[in-house]
Amino acid sequence: MSTPTLTSLSTPSQSLIDAHLMDYFLIELVATLRTSAGVAQKRQRKVESEMRDAGLVAVPAAGNNPPNEKKKDRERDRESREGSARDSVTSLSSTKGGSHKQPNKDKDPLDEEDEPVRQRLEAIGVHVGANVAERLSATRPPFTDTLDAIKFICKDVWAACWDKQIDNLRTNHRGIYVLQDNAFSPITRLSSHISRSDAVRRAKIYAHLPAGIIKGVLTRLGVSSSTSSTTSSTSTSTTSANANASGSNHTSSAAGGGGVSVTPEISSMPQCTFQVKLPKGS
Amino acid sequence: MASKQYKSIGEDLWKGRTEKINAELFALTYGALVVQLIQDYEDYDEVNKQLEKMGYNIGTRLIEDFLAKSNFGRCSDFKEVGEAVAKVGFKSFLNITPIVTHGAPPSSPRPQSTGTVQSISQTTSGSFFVLTLDDNPLAEFVELPEEALEGRLWFSNVLCGVIRGALEMVQLQVKAEFISDVLRGDENTEIRVTLVKYLEEEVPVGDD
Repeated sequence: MSTPTLTSLSTPSQSLIDAHLMDYFLIELVATLRTSAGVAQKRQRKVESEMRDAGLVAVPAAGNNPPNEKKKDRERDRESREGSARDSVTSLSSTKGGSHKQPNKDKDPLDEEDEPVRQRLEAIGVHVGANVAERLSATRPPFTDTLDAIKFICKDVWAACWDKQIDNLRTNHRGIYVLQDNAFSPITRLSSHISRSDAVRRAKIYAHLPAGIIKGVLTRLGVSSSTSSTTSSTSTSTTSANANASGSNHTSSAAGGGGVSVTPEISSMPQCTFQVKLPKGS
Repeated sequence: MASKQYKSIGEDLWKGRTEKINAELFALTYGALVVQLIQDYEDYDEVNKQLEKMGYNIGTRLIEDFLAKSNFGRCSDFKEVGEAVAKVGFKSFLNITPIVTHGAPPSSPRPQSTGTVQSISQTTSGSFFVLTLDDNPLAEFVELPEEALEGRLWFSNVLCGVIRGALEMVQLQVKAEFISDVLRGDENTEIRVTLVKYLEEEVPVGDD
């Protein structure tokens, strides 16, 4: 490989790929994660039962914040096995207690099954969002305030990911933002032969990755928030950012750590909304 | 078809694609996925298999997309298949053009890039082509740790699956595998695609 010239180093070219490839990839990504989550859970349950049989682990109470710890463990020590004891305890709680902590309180069996997939998707989204934020904001002037950062997400980040912008942004000026996408790309081509509402139900899982992206961007930009995405029956994705007390939110709700919460919601098909909650004072 | 034609077809297709997104996004998402899979499976061979399987599913859809947009005719031999995959296929989706080198089955004397032309139906199983990727969009931010190197992880194995899935939909059963990868410290990144057999169109049982 030839040595890159100074110019090419200073102004990195933007390489592009086909958007349809990305769509297919994301669909398959969810399917692959479902399988791998199943395998991982099975293995951990086996370890847990072995440990319980050996009398090493007491049956845990669902008191702590297992989903967060699990995610952080994953991100920090993926190579070491020391985390396995902790993981197995947390995973047991998370499979039992995680769904209880979900803000939507949806007792839909599909949701409960998908909880590990949701966590994985959000974790991937956070990783992607953080890096995208860094790369996209490198050449920009620094953000003046939170609203500026949210607008950056609505315009630059969304355009980089899905070649369009957020259609509607609402805020209550007190730390909650609702981002609405009327034709949310990953779910525009989804349909179900059973019913529309079934399609909406199944589409929900796909909104968690972008929710994670939003969260990742905000966290990396220094705005601690929590995002929840809701997909409504029209193709709007709203992301509302909620503000929790900044800094103390490493143990936040099931939506994730870091004080940012993003909740996706789909109520009608191509429309998805993300509710972002930002901590007060950021 | 001359090689130059393939190239220009590939470029036209790429330019004609209206929806393009940042390749870095793809690289980041894919990288996070591989990390997650490694954590879930804890077995690099299994991760390789899962990536290939995922690629297979993607490939079966991509070929439809490709044929719908391009009006591409049938390839007359396996050599053309290799050219088409590299110059048109990869170009129109990933905007890269791997270098193709052809090879005949090991039993016959080995010609190099200007290989012998055989029609598809006569092609003996074992014909292959090697795609050399100069720059792999998936591996942009990647460095493999010791464990993954020892565990024989093929990071971009999804590409092998895509090739296998796409070609199977056009009646070619192939085996696609990595033979070297810069992420592993090799000199270049190469995928060998070997023809296993030509799949005959099967008439469903009960039809005349």
